[in-house]
Amino acid sequence: MFLNTLFVMSALLTVVSAVLVLTTKNIMHSCVFLLGSLIGIAGLYATLGADFVAATQVMVYVGGVVILMLFAVMLTGGKDFVSKAQNLMGLAPTMGNAWTYGVSALVGLVFLFTNIQLLTRLGTMSKLKNDGAFESTVNKIGHLLVKDHILSFEISSVLLLGALVGAAIIARPRKQ
Amino acid sequence: MNQTVVSFLAQYEFFDFLTKIFGENSLLLTTLIFLIFSVAFVAVAATIGGLGTYAERKISADIQMRMGPNRVGPYGLLQFLADGVKMMMKEDIMPRTADKFLFYLAPLLCLLGVFATLAVLPVSSGFTLTDLNVGVFYLIAISSLVGLGVFLGGYASNSKWSMLGGMRGASQIISYEIPVTLSVLAITLLSGSMSFGKITDLQAGFITNWFVFHNPFAFLAFIVYFVGAMAETNRAPFDLPEAESELVSGYHTEYTGMRFGFFALAEYIEVFVVSAVAAALFLGGYNLPFHISIDFLPIQFVQLSILVGKALMLYYVVIWARWTFPRLRVDHLMSVCWKYLTPIAIFNLVGCAVWMVAFNGQSLAQLIFGH
Amino acid sequence: MISLASYLIISMILFVIGLMVMIARKNIVAILLGIELVLNAAALNFVAYSKFVTNNLDGHIFALFIIVVAAAEAAVGLAIVIRFFQLKETIHVDEATQLRN
Repeated sequence: MFLNTLFVMSALLTVVSAVLVLTTKNIMHSCVFLLGSLIGIAGLYATLGADFVAATQVMVYVGGVVILMLFAVMLTGGKDFVSKAQNLMGLAPTMGNAWTYGVSALVGLVFLFTNIQLLTRLGTMSKLKNDGAFESTVNKIGHLLVKDHILSFEISSVLLLGALVGAAIIARPRKQ
Repeated sequence: MNQTVVSFLAQYEFFDFLTKIFGENSLLLTTLIFLIFSVAFVAVAATIGGLGTYAERKISADIQMRMGPNRVGPYGLLQFLADGVKMMMKEDIMPRTADKFLFYLAPLLCLLGVFATLAVLPVSSGFTLTDLNVGVFYLIAISSLVGLGVFLGGYASNSKWSMLGGMRGASQIISYEIPVTLSVLAITLLSGSMSFGKITDLQAGFITNWFVFHNPFAFLAFIVYFVGAMAETNRAPFDLPEAESELVSGYHTEYTGMRFGFFALAEYIEVFVVSAVAAALFLGGYNLPFHISIDFLPIQFVQLSILVGKALMLYYVVIWARWTFPRLRVDHLMSVCWKYLTPIAIFNLVGCAVWMVAFNGQSLAQLIFGH
Repeated sequence: MISLASYLIISMILFVIGLMVMIARKNIVAILLGIELVLNAAALNFVAYSKFVTNNLDGHIFALFIIVVAAAEAAVGLAIVIRFFQLKETIHVDEATQLRN
């Protein structure tokens, strides 16, 4: 019951904020709505019993990525490109013709039916019970990270170092 | 399963009486208990925040040999209530070119980030709202909402001073998060857990069991944590975001009335939360210096007052530092973080790991005095 | 209510919205927002599958790596955006037509 409430709230937060990211014209507001969506996803992780992933999600996105995005918006002027393409409601003539719309509708239908087929089969697959009592995943994740997934762990640390140095070098103003 | 205040209360007799009224495993009862405790926590925290403003003025007056507030109530003790009433009566002004949505959102984000940390604050062995097994991590993560609130407040006001203050605030908060997190990680390494309850339980007993005296690296980690936390809460000598001599008052220049009150309240409560976390992680938390059965309910209040007392002592140090140290310069602030605190914190982390391996997890006192 | 299908539907909605943001917006930062949404949709799928199907924690590990990669991508991407703005004075994505100078 409690999990269901949490699930519904998180799912609503996620989806509504994501839609607002798409439809808001002001990019600063978009960033804030993205934050709402990401926190909603953290709530969804919590309903799945993934406590560590949920905390990491909040840690990385709230404390890091979203503030970084806001910084970038401010450093680049935060200008909206007021074109019809940005406002999806009035996008019709700018983004394609009858041919592209026809093809995309066909692809969309195929996509939809495939998904429905898959989902109905998966619906019967989820036989796991949800008794509301989760065990801690932190210790297991720690062991997995340094035993089974040690290589990817190390590679991701190299990736982060590369990103750190690369971002610092790229963004540094150069002497002309 | 995480231990919560509900599972703590469930071991007492009056809980059986409640379950008779509400039925077994009632969601309503659980929600009600959580609601009561959350409201109580928030109310107490807000009172502590309000009293913090009073304490700040009184202590600063003491340091500068003045009287401080002394008119409202005994010793001016009710001054913060008068200030609160004044703030609520004030006109709520918003600049015409401000970003309305973000202007309304920013103070709320600040307050939300601070109040959300109260959920895992280990005030006593039973009254902790929930003892999450990722508690420390959660606390660090959710308190970064404050940085976002500061930043958005600075941006939304559409004023130069606010903008500069918000930029400074955000960069300062996300920079100082790194040494703070690394110092906390050192404690996680020593205790082998991220749950506040377990970390506190490991420090039970005499003062030598506190993690701050566990080894020299942990002592350094405590200092790094405290300095970093002071910077993260925008307290002097790190109050660059609201430096009134350079930036009017930084990110909340354009805020009036209760919205400004929210920012101020969030700051004061955050100082208390940070002090309480320091007390819980390094200074033994709610533990009494001798063993006592925790089943006896009034013991919980003793533990509560011990933790709050430790936190208030650190609070005093924070205020003391504010009125004795001059403010740093912006570039000095960043070099303190990146060139000094972060390397020291990494050194501490490695040192703690080496200590744990070399001495098999024994503390300094255990090595000297035996077991 | 809480079943694999509901998570997959939410994840699909997120993915599609992220894709639409990437297509419809012309601001490079907004495109990065879309990429974040898409990556999060994928991570949500991994965690949901690891809960309902495989019943181990490999999905969690993968979600953590996705978060790491997303953070690195955001840092480098935004650095490029800022550099691009210094050169071109705009961050309209259609202006990014040259690889040199």
